[in-house]
Amino acid sequence: MRKELSGWSVFAVIAPALAAAPAFAVQYLTLEQAQQLMFPGASRFVSQPVRLNAEQKRSVERYATVKMRTSEQPVWRVEASGTTLGWFVTDEVFGKHEFITYAVALDAGGTVRGVEILDYRETHGGEVRDARWRAQFAGKRYGDTLKLDADIQNISGATLSCKHITEGVRRILALHQTALR
Amino acid sequence: MSATRRARPLLGTLVEISVDTVRRPPATQRAIDRAFAEIERVHILMNYHDPGSEISRINREAHAHAVTVSEDTWGVLAAARRMSAFSAGLFDVTVAPLLADAGFVSHDGSDTDALRGACWRDVELLSDRRVCLRRPLRIDLSGIAKGYAVDLAVESLERDGIRAGHVNAGGDLRFFGDLPSAVHIRHPQRPTALIPILSCHSAVATSAGYYRRRICAGREVCAVAHPQRGTLCDATRSVTVFADDCMTADALTKVIHADPVRGRHLLRWRRARAVIIDADPRTGECRLYDSASQLDVAATPARRASGA
Repeated sequence: MRKELSGWSVFAVIAPALAAAPAFAVQYLTLEQAQQLMFPGASRFVSQPVRLNAEQKRSVERYATVKMRTSEQPVWRVEASGTTLGWFVTDEVFGKHEFITYAVALDAGGTVRGVEILDYRETHGGEVRDARWRAQFAGKRYGDTLKLDADIQNISGATLSCKHITEGVRRILALHQTALR
Repeated sequence: MSATRRARPLLGTLVEISVDTVRRPPATQRAIDRAFAEIERVHILMNYHDPGSEISRINREAHAHAVTVSEDTWGVLAAARRMSAFSAGLFDVTVAPLLADAGFVSHDGSDTDALRGACWRDVELLSDRRVCLRRPLRIDLSGIAKGYAVDLAVESLERDGIRAGHVNAGGDLRFFGDLPSAVHIRHPQRPTALIPILSCHSAVATSAGYYRRRICAGREVCAVAHPQRGTLCDATRSVTVFADDCMTADALTKVIHADPVRGRHLLRWRRARAVIIDADPRTGECRLYDSASQLDVAATPARRASGA
């Protein structure tokens, strides 16, 4: 460990326990909620999953410069009074600790109208056992202290990964180019 | 109280908006849409990686002729300049070439050696929102712009009559209506482990290595630079600043990272508080320094007693 910080006093020494903690998960939107939000004028969402053959898969990978994990993609054709408004596509990305489901709305020409996260799941560990640090909670409302471990929405620090979503959107654009035009 | 939460990938991170749902759901969703639109506007104007952004235009052209910018970009540049002046250069938005050399920011093909000697003083803010560079340099507003975007989103939600909620852009976090009792900070070396800290400010920002770290001259470093030494800060440390607004909180994390000793008086200037977490990469043990700790512990003997 590095030398102590001059002018600052150590407030606490924290040894995070290695025991695995339950996974943290947020559902932002259900599939239906996302569809309604992203295409408020739609009358119908027609499920039309895209199955790519080997050649199409290669073509998507070449254009998007990312791997296709599966050859099937959940896609809905969005209709309003008989005409195609666009496409609603869902996708999943994995990171080191996170699992993200998201939806992309494409207009009929294949331009991205929006991206919404449906589910975000993260595994976290780290129960903290340090008396001085724990003391900061003493005298606070009892309920709050109890809630601390479960209340994980107030996290300051990088979100685990957004890079995978950017790549995923690129892959979906390539999929539209290859199979939805 | 039920909450409506949504998230979108923006500003290079996941931006979450969570609001107290008391109004009709459609009105709440429209308010969230408008708040996201504010963030998206900042994303488009100040994206360092997009050649079409205002920042890229400044970086390309403003050393040859003055470039007129939007009120948003102007406001952030002016805030950055104030922070640089008050911190005697510990905060500096022209360190991008340093980060590019370490591989944190993609190279735009220019000669970083030629860009290196520049500092915040070389950015001139002229009348009528015109920006001029005294020499070629690269401005990257990403952190402070993220804080600014969060502040704008919160203001937009409040304008729309939302009572309470929060906006979180990858750790640049601001609450309104109800303040949280605690905020969780990620462990510098094990980002899925969370350390709760009691908070009484409405805005929080953290700078740390987490998923972006590199080995540089045998040292593990993160994407925060010391502008005057021309070096990068250790990845084993995270700096969290609590302040009244997110732009200030984000900017101050950079100042405290660069120089915790000299940076400390700036916390008082902005009524802010910093928590530094140093992690031992071997054991995962953390030392936690809190600029408010003396005050906190001395003022509440009950806490000290239970902590002893």
